[in-house]
Amino acid sequence: MISVKNIIKTFEDGVTVLKGVDCEIKKGEVVAIIGPSGSGKSTLLRCMNLLCVPTYGEVWLKDSLLTPVDPYLHTEVIEASNTYKKLIAEGMDGSEAIKKIKAEDLLKEKFSSAEGKAYKAEIKKIYNESHIDINLARQRMGMVFQHFNLFNNLTVMENLTLAPTQLKLKTNEEAEQIAMTLLKRIGLEDKADVYPSTLSGGQKQRIAIVRALAMNPDIMLFDEPTSALDPEMVGEVLDLMKQLAGEGMTMVIVTHEMGFAREVADKIIFIDEGIIKEQGTPAEIFGNPKDARLKDFLSKVL
Amino acid sequence: MNFFNSIGVLITNEKYMGMLFEGLGTTLLISVFAALLGLVLGTLVAIVGISGDSPIMKLPKLICKLYVTIIRGTPMALQLFIMAYTIFAIRGFPKEITAIIAFGINSGAYVSENIRAGILSVDIGQTEAGRALGLNGKTTMVKIVIPQAIKNVIPAIGNELIALIKETSIVSMIGMYDLTQAAKVIGAGNNMASYVVPMSVAACFYLAIVYLLTFAIKKIEGKLRAGDKR
Repeated sequence: MISVKNIIKTFEDGVTVLKGVDCEIKKGEVVAIIGPSGSGKSTLLRCMNLLCVPTYGEVWLKDSLLTPVDPYLHTEVIEASNTYKKLIAEGMDGSEAIKKIKAEDLLKEKFSSAEGKAYKAEIKKIYNESHIDINLARQRMGMVFQHFNLFNNLTVMENLTLAPTQLKLKTNEEAEQIAMTLLKRIGLEDKADVYPSTLSGGQKQRIAIVRALAMNPDIMLFDEPTSALDPEMVGEVLDLMKQLAGEGMTMVIVTHEMGFAREVADKIIFIDEGIIKEQGTPAEIFGNPKDARLKDFLSKVL
Repeated sequence: MNFFNSIGVLITNEKYMGMLFEGLGTTLLISVFAALLGLVLGTLVAIVGISGDSPIMKLPKLICKLYVTIIRGTPMALQLFIMAYTIFAIRGFPKEITAIIAFGINSGAYVSENIRAGILSVDIGQTEAGRALGLNGKTTMVKIVIPQAIKNVIPAIGNELIALIKETSIVSMIGMYDLTQAAKVIGAGNNMASYVVPMSVAACFYLAIVYLLTFAIKKIEGKLRAGDKR
C-alpha cells in the first residue's frame, strides 16, 4: 500500500533526522513504529503523507508516486546519465558504475546541465506515468495527530463533514448521514452540535479518528494518538483503534504503548538514530530482540 | 455666559447643529470606506507576507514589505498631502475619494501586521489537519485558519478602526469639511467666537461613534468566540 524508498530528511537547521529509511506497508497490515524520542519515527510517518517533505527518496501510495522522482532509485535514469556513460566508456562494469554513482552522489550537477536530455526524459517519463497530486493522495490516507487538531471554529458535525463536502465527494446530506453513523459508532451522537473545546481529550481523539474515517481512506496514519491523553482516556482510544484493526484497516501507528503494539500490530518497526534498526513480528521484536539499542530501549519501556 | 449655557446655545441652534452633522457625515463616509479598503488591503498584504518562499512570490513580498515600512514610518498628514497634491492633483477630483484612498492605504499597513500576527497565532496543527484530509492550502486557509485568526485579531483591528476614525480629523488640512472642521468654523470669530464649546460637542460625537463601534466589536467577538471556553 505504501512504499517508502530510501527516505532522507534534513531539516532547515541542518539536522538529519532520517538517514535512509526503506519500508513497505502492505494492505490490511497494522504496523507499529516504535523508538526513543527524537529517533525520527514521527518524521517518518509524516513523510508518508508529505506533511513533512523528504529531502531525498520516494514515497509511493500503491502505484502512485507522491514525491518528485529520486534519480538514484531508478537504474534506467542512472543509465541515461552522462556520468554513467562516461564511466562505462572508461571501461567500468555497469553495476559497478551504478554503485559508484550512488555512493559518491555523482548525479547532482546533472539537473542543470544541458547535456542530460536523455536523463531528463527518463525522469519525466517516470513522473508522468506515476506522479499524483498530493491532495488526491491525502484523501485516501487518514491521519490522526497527537494533539487531535480538531477544527476549533467548527462544531463536531462540521469537523466531520468539512472535507467530504468541500472536496465535492459527498452532498451535505450524505456527509451528515455518514458523520452521524460514525458518531453513533463511538457513542458521541449527542455531541454533534457542540464545539471541540467542550470535549474531553479521549472524546476529541475519537472524533479525530472518525473525522479521518469520514473520508473513507485506504490507510490510516496515527501519530502518537494517546500521548497527550490522561491515562484514564487512553483505553477508549485504543479500543477504537483495535476495532479498526479488526475490520482490516491498514494502519501505521507511531506509539509508546508497547502493550497495544504487541497485541494489535502485525509488524513492528524499531527506529533509532534515523534508521530502521530492526523490524519484525511482535513476537520477534519483544520476544527475541537482536539489536543492542532495541534491547536497551525495551528494557526501559517494558 | 458660562460653559454649560454655551453648550445649550449650540445644541439648540439649528444652523450650528446642521454644520456639525454635515461634518459628521463626511467623517463617517471617509472612516467607513477607508476601513473597508484597509481591511481588504491588509488581508491581502498579510497573506502575501506569510505565503511560502517560492520565487514567484519574491517581488510581491518585497513590495508588501516596502509598503508596510514606508506607510508606517511616515506621518499620516504627509501621506494625505502627497495623495491630494501630487497623486490626485486633478482639478475636480472628489476629495472624499482622495481621503478614502489615503486613509485606506494607511490603515491597510497597520491592519496587515495585525492580521499576520493573527494568522500566525493559529496552531499549525489546524493547517496540518486540513491538509492531511486532502484540502488544498487555499480552502484550509479560508475555512479553518482565517476564521480562527479573525477571532484573535478583532481586538487589535478594533483599536485600529478607532484610531482611524479619530485620525480622519486631519482632512481639513486638504480643505475638507469634516466634524473637526465644522467645530472650528462654529468656533470662529464670526460665529460663537469660542473654540472650547464646539470642540467639546464634536468630541462627544467622536465618543459616541467610538462607543457604538466598541459595542458592535464586542458583539461580533462574542459571537465568534462561541467555540471557545474562555
